[in-house]
Amino acid sequence: MFYIDHSSFVQILAAFLFCIGLLIVIFRRNLIVMLMGVELLLNAANLSLIGFSHHFSMIDGQIQAFFVITLAAAESAIGLSILVNLYRHIGSINTSDTQLMKG
Amino acid sequence: MDLSMTLEDIFLFAFGLVAVGGSLVMLFAKNPITVALGLLSVLLATGCTYGLMGEHMVATLQIVVYAGAIMVLFVFSIMLLNLNNLKFDLAWPRVLFWASVAGLAAFFALICINVLYFFQSKMAQHQWGEFTPEKVSELGGNARVLSQALFSQNYFSFELVSIPLLIALVGAVVLAKRKLN
Repeated sequence: MFYIDHSSFVQILAAFLFCIGLLIVIFRRNLIVMLMGVELLLNAANLSLIGFSHHFSMIDGQIQAFFVITLAAAESAIGLSILVNLYRHIGSINTSDTQLMKG
Repeated sequence: MDLSMTLEDIFLFAFGLVAVGGSLVMLFAKNPITVALGLLSVLLATGCTYGLMGEHMVATLQIVVYAGAIMVLFVFSIMLLNLNNLKFDLAWPRVLFWASVAGLAAFFALICINVLYFFQSKMAQHQWGEFTPEKVSELGGNARVLSQALFSQNYFSFELVSIPLLIALVGAVVLAKRKLN
């Protein structure tokens, strides 16, 4: 029968976090919450990478996770400044208020 | 097979539970600041998981960069936007929401079965790399091993990743300074 060891527990946790992050990005209408969902997705991918790299005694996955963290920081900075600009334009950050593609 | 739980198992399970709870809070909370706190708990719990696995360098980066810098950025912009008249924004039809929850649950179950089968297989039992915990501690710890790999074989990617950071820096300043007509 199956015996859940550390590595598979970490992988299943990462899969769960990824599914929840996907639900947040699909279903929430608040843009700032959607950006946080993207962060959750990246974090879940990081967890999976590091779990596998630990299981196989390699460090390449950790280096990859390092770059993912760096790019996540850049992405959230850009995303949040776009969001602040959007709020100054239309006074709302709900995606239902941004359906017109004109400035 | 030893089925008794060690202290490490208990801690791993507790951190996993915190992460799952935080992600569910993120999905169902109404106020963005509550969502930010849920994300913070998820990030801290995964950082603790990395530390438990012995990957101290990535755990530190997770705490400093993710749970520190990025969360401050999020909380700061929530404060800046000063959102009021919040309404709960799971605005899709309820049927569609539960249908996608069911679809994602099926997807999750597939991943679980796949992972459990994979870790039973011969390929997963085989030890592919050389950096076992004993070897890493003999070489001077996780941070030193990782930094040596980063500055020797991965140094080109390390330098290259500074370009997106620079672009993000300039882009954020340009977007923030733009005058509205």
